Amino acid sequence: MNAGMAEALIFTALLLGAFVLLGGLYGLFYSLGRLRRERRLIAIARVHYALQCVVTAAIMLDTPLTPWWKVFVVLSCAAYFEIPPRTWRYLERLHHPRERHA
Amino acid sequence: MYRSQRLALRYFAAAIALFGVMVAAGLLSATYYVHPTLLFNVFNFNIAKILHIDTLVLWLLMGFLGAVYWFLPGELGREVKGIALAEVMFWILCAAIAVVAAVFIVVQYGGSNESSMWFINQGRKYVEAPRWAALGIVAVMLVFAYNVIATAIEARKMTGVLGVLIADAVPLLALYLDAFPEIKNMSVDLFWWWWLVHLWVEATWEVFIGCIMAWTLMELLGTSRRVVESWLYVEVALVLGTGILGLGHHYFWIGAPTYWLGIGGAFSALEPLPLLGMVVHGVYDAGTHHMQAANRPAFYWTLAEAFGNFLGAGVFGFMMTLPQINLYSHGTQWTVSHGHFAFWGAYGCGVLAVVYLALEKTRAAKGLDSAAWKWSFALLNVGMAGMAGALLAAGMVEAFVGRAIGGSTLNAFLLVQNNSWFVEGMWARLGFGVVFAAGYATLVFDLATIGRRHELEIMPESRAA
Repeated sequence: MNAGMAEALIFTALLLGAFVLLGGLYGLFYSLGRLRRERRLIAIARVHYALQCVVTAAIMLDTPLTPWWKVFVVLSCAAYFEIPPRTWRYLERLHHPRERHA
Repeated sequence: MYRSQRLALRYFAAAIALFGVMVAAGLLSATYYVHPTLLFNVFNFNIAKILHIDTLVLWLLMGFLGAVYWFLPGELGREVKGIALAEVMFWILCAAIAVVAAVFIVVQYGGSNESSMWFINQGRKYVEAPRWAALGIVAVMLVFAYNVIATAIEARKMTGVLGVLIADAVPLLALYLDAFPEIKNMSVDLFWWWWLVHLWVEATWEVFIGCIMAWTLMELLGTSRRVVESWLYVEVALVLGTGILGLGHHYFWIGAPTYWLGIGGAFSALEPLPLLGMVVHGVYDAGTHHMQAANRPAFYWTLAEAFGNFLGAGVFGFMMTLPQINLYSHGTQWTVSHGHFAFWGAYGCGVLAVVYLALEKTRAAKGLDSAAWKWSFALLNVGMAGMAGALLAAGMVEAFVGRAIGGSTLNAFLLVQNNSWFVEGMWARLGFGVVFAAGYATLVFDLATIGRRHELEIMPESRAA
């Protein structure tokens, strides 16, 4: 493998790590925002998700992964968007079932 | 206190002692990387590494068993059935571990024959214990399964957490039997061996710790049973759904069919998703209790479990799990980095949370807050994060210079050993290892003096009164 491809290998790995880390930060700030009912924190969460989308785009355009894995990363990115709100709603339903009926 | 809970305390003490052996063997292993001739032909790297990894498995396993023996009587409202047998098995297990460790340290290795396999080293990575000791572990796990199932039958009671735990006991035991076959074909041998190593760690142990954390949340935060059981079912479904076929990422390069590249890569890439759910859950629970709980050490270790699991298994795992990356990263310090962080986050922190819960009930009814637990919490987590970071840097150099550019030749391997990034990474790992060891020493001090320290503090007031 030439040096350029070797660099691409490390770059891709770092992007993949950043992809999950940003997803985690999005989930963390989203949960904190819902907990404290602060729009500022929800906005910070969305910024992290936007950054995750930028990383996804970089993975799509600038890495030697095969197309199947690129599609997979895009689908994962969509899943990351949905997990924190869905988990939060599920937890609220679990903890406060009566409020839902009211 | 139930006899079962006294047994649990013994298991916790043994687990913490083995944790110490693991730290010591880890520090020694790390030192070999910066002083390769240290103890050459007296106590070689491979033996220190065996001690490091085997004690890792054993301290966590003993912590799990202790946690179940701690919670089970409360769950079923009665003493554990067959507790006398469980007590005998505990001492047999401790004696067996001591004998095996002595054999590893003194005898070290034998010839390629049956007697070596039975009495010195089984020769299978991570389950090196000689066959007699491996049979002993099977016996301990059988007695443990009997204790849990027979107590539930006698109590005529079944809860959701207990049901999941009992269901988990079957694969937990069955998969360990994978440590025994003698298969001549290396690919086939590795295929089954990974069932033990991966499916214990990323399936049965995940379920085990899920049950333990469910009980922990009920006791620590007073979360209702309905909530923890509903969440446990979801977690178990998600973890098993991604973790079982995630096994395929170990089949990439062992001679297994190529379809494992797609299956293993896809399912292990999905593994961070349930971990993200755990982070959200952690924030929810912490927030609804305003970051306060009567038992702060247990609370913070529980939180560390959710975040450490996401970082170690999720972020560090995803970086290297796709086949194109894994081709170059597997077997380097990069993998070691992921392994350290993931084990610590997923299991180590959880076991420590339960130990603090148990000590609250037995020795420190008036609180556990102290500077010691905060220092140990900080030193252990900073030490682990530092080690994982240093190993990641060193591993990336190995993948980049030794594998991708060097073509995985012996020459390239030797070249990497002198690469300044690799050398500095190894020194940094050793430095953070010392920080981690300092955290361990502080933890032991805290655990040993909880309650007693409090008595000393209130003694002058008592005298004045």
